[in-house]
Amino acid sequence: MFENRREGLALALPAATFTLLVFLVPVAIFLSEAFRFEGSWSLQGYVQFFSEPLNQSVFFRTLRLGALVAFTSAIIGYAAAFCIVNLDGKARGQIFGLVVLPLMISPVARTYAWIVILGRTGIVNDTIVWLGLSDTPIRLLFTETAVFLGLLQLFLPLMIISLVSAMENLPRDVIPAARVLGANWFQVFTRIILPLTKEGLVMGGTLVFTGALTAYITPAILGGSKVLMLETLLYQKVNVSNDFVSASVIAMILIVMSFSANLLLKRIATARR
Amino acid sequence: MSDAFVSLSDLTLAYGESIAVPNLNLDIRQGELIALLGPSGCGKTTTMRAIAGLMPAKSGTITIDGRDVTRVPANKRGIGLVFQSYALFPHLSAFENAAFGLRLQRRPEAEIRSRTQAALEIVGLAHLAARKPSEMSGGQQQRLALARSLVMEPKVLLLDEPLSNLDARLRLEMRTELQRLQRETGITMVFVTHDQSEALALADRVVLMRDGVIEQIGPPDALYNTPVTAFAADFMGFENIFAVEGTSLSSEQGALAVSYSADAPYLGWRPGAVRLGSGSHEARVRSVAFAGGHREYVLDTQIGPVRADVDIAAPVFSVDEAVMFDLPQETAHPLKAS
Amino acid sequence: MTARWPTWLILGLTLTFLIGPFLIIIFAGLSAGNSLAFPPQGLSLKWYLKVFTIESFHASFALSMFLAVFGTLAALVIGIPAAYALNRYDIPGAETIKTAVAAPIIVPGIIVGLALLRYLVVPLDVTITMALFVAHTALVLPYAVRVVSSSLQNLRVDMEEAAILLGCTRLQAFTKVVLPNIRGGVLAAFILGFVTSFNEVPVSLFLSGPGVRTMPIDMLSYMEITYDPSVAALSALLAFMCVAIVFTAEKFLGFSRYV
Repeated sequence: MFENRREGLALALPAATFTLLVFLVPVAIFLSEAFRFEGSWSLQGYVQFFSEPLNQSVFFRTLRLGALVAFTSAIIGYAAAFCIVNLDGKARGQIFGLVVLPLMISPVARTYAWIVILGRTGIVNDTIVWLGLSDTPIRLLFTETAVFLGLLQLFLPLMIISLVSAMENLPRDVIPAARVLGANWFQVFTRIILPLTKEGLVMGGTLVFTGALTAYITPAILGGSKVLMLETLLYQKVNVSNDFVSASVIAMILIVMSFSANLLLKRIATARR
Repeated sequence: MSDAFVSLSDLTLAYGESIAVPNLNLDIRQGELIALLGPSGCGKTTTMRAIAGLMPAKSGTITIDGRDVTRVPANKRGIGLVFQSYALFPHLSAFENAAFGLRLQRRPEAEIRSRTQAALEIVGLAHLAARKPSEMSGGQQQRLALARSLVMEPKVLLLDEPLSNLDARLRLEMRTELQRLQRETGITMVFVTHDQSEALALADRVVLMRDGVIEQIGPPDALYNTPVTAFAADFMGFENIFAVEGTSLSSEQGALAVSYSADAPYLGWRPGAVRLGSGSHEARVRSVAFAGGHREYVLDTQIGPVRADVDIAAPVFSVDEAVMFDLPQETAHPLKAS
Repeated sequence: MTARWPTWLILGLTLTFLIGPFLIIIFAGLSAGNSLAFPPQGLSLKWYLKVFTIESFHASFALSMFLAVFGTLAALVIGIPAAYALNRYDIPGAETIKTAVAAPIIVPGIIVGLALLRYLVVPLDVTITMALFVAHTALVLPYAVRVVSSSLQNLRVDMEEAAILLGCTRLQAFTKVVLPNIRGGVLAAFILGFVTSFNEVPVSLFLSGPGVRTMPIDMLSYMEITYDPSVAALSALLAFMCVAIVFTAEKFLGFSRYV
């Protein structure tokens, strides 16, 4: 019934052509600009981009924050996932639902909340002044910390989901068995949970890392032009400096990272089966 | 009391607000092989997990070898537990699985190697040391789980339904294995089962539980021959248990007048104790089955179904045939209400 | 296993971190005062009401709704056959097609928006709305294909074969047997696509122009110039809408099964 490959191809063609024309071609052309410099093909664009200290610091900051967010979300994620997995049926579903809920809300709304919290007249500053730790409100917005918090809040659910799924697939009774054999909780984590859930960890980590790397809204709102990340830098290059070569270079970097991460995820997913 | 190796004293176990096991008292002697027997939900697994430290006690104490372990966490009690699911670590080889507990204690490598090898040899898995659990058969996996616990030289070895997952032949093998192990190592063993024949075959003493309470304790023959209550008799396979009302036996289906009266509220007969072929009551044969050395009959009577086992040499009755039967006083077992 | 206090502590802190800020926004929007602060000075619905009066929001909301609904529909129209083809047939280059269709999720939005602007909109002189429509369809397509694929995988081929043996044509088999059985997946894909499209920012950021803006973009520019509780109210309202949609979907469909 399904041997007619032409038929199958015909069904898939609209979607494929659409994506090709509307998406792949424009993006490909855009990326090719990274390899052009003053009318001819060259890698000069890259060289020039990386030789500027501002670009370098943005590049490294993005990587650094991405890694930090991934790492922190892993720690919190494991703790939360372990708790969730140990809850009974109804509570588990409800709590899990609450964790997933933020993903449905627009990143704009979720990020904006931090302005209320971290702003000059926000909760944190109010508490600090009230406790007498400082006379004047301290600047919390437009700092790396603010961006870090915003990104963490945005992507933590992804890590939790990934880890909960991994932990639910742990063989039955393996944790009590390790306990009875004498393991303290740290040993249970390092010798049993970690090795057996490492695919979930890598999956979650990749999702969080790439997400943080390619985030726009959160760095834009919470970092502004003081704490630039690769995507906000890209925006600046386009809208402010009209520097499309640089923009394209950045785009290329982002895509390479994103694609590699995705390949990694696919490798893990298929290896599991 | 003083020779009790494991002692549960007024132990109460609860899930949230609902009490699973109220005020349990049980003494287990050193080197004993004891079975916790009962239907699902009777509290046997809960009690076992409490001894292991996987279930907190609401009140009461648990003492092991003179030490109060009620508040001691599971990883410090010196107990072994073989799970029904075996709970082997899939990412480790058989050897590493068995060596796991020793590695946690950071023993010297030579000691780990020799003790683990010895444990694997005891259960006959030495030749499979490099295999992963997924590459082993069910029986082998269970033996590995056993070896893993034995390596630790636990004071008490707990086993959760050790024979339930096995087919008939493996079950016999494992039973022999466990008995041999127990004789050789002298470890105190507690196992949990819902199968009365398993309990009777293996244990030195059987603890029959119901709704969190001990219904009867005793050696296998005591439970088999003289169950005290109707529930115990029913669980141990009596099959014909009827209430006594004056000079009648009664059940939900009806009543049967008999020529005697009894002191006990219930009387029970094993299928072999029913007289078939002659007697004062009439029944109709509902089914007959050949069972090797005897035939198993189910009779439709005034009092409901009655199970009777008759020697193979006796004349056969066929389905729907009318027969006479008796529930004789001589072979009746008096039973208390539960 | 009964939960003990460390569990509730860890989960409590985590959930506070994840949801707390959002709750704060809801209450900040309820402020009776004039400045954006938490705790709010007094409670009042005036800022929530104000949101409804802002002209540009009417237009941008309508546009976002239009894109979300019709963009997702378009994505389903070309996506369902594609999912069907990929799942049932052995197409040459199936892997390539799968990667290509999934690409929009992988490529960062800003790049997509920029590329589309420079190489599609400007050269072809397409209207902004059309550009947005096309872009949103492309963005939702991967979700549509993925969710419907997963539904199809759970539907055995035997059913279609049985239908054909009973006399159906291929098309009839598809509409009478396949479609009704993947209905849940299609609905789930629709809702997922809707929410994704509605909340989309980076692509729409570049493609939006004077007078033609999606809701999130409008919100962003409003946020840049206004600093009163109406912004908080707006965020809260939009979030409610999305949550309500997903929540209803879960209640009536068991939505989470398909995602």
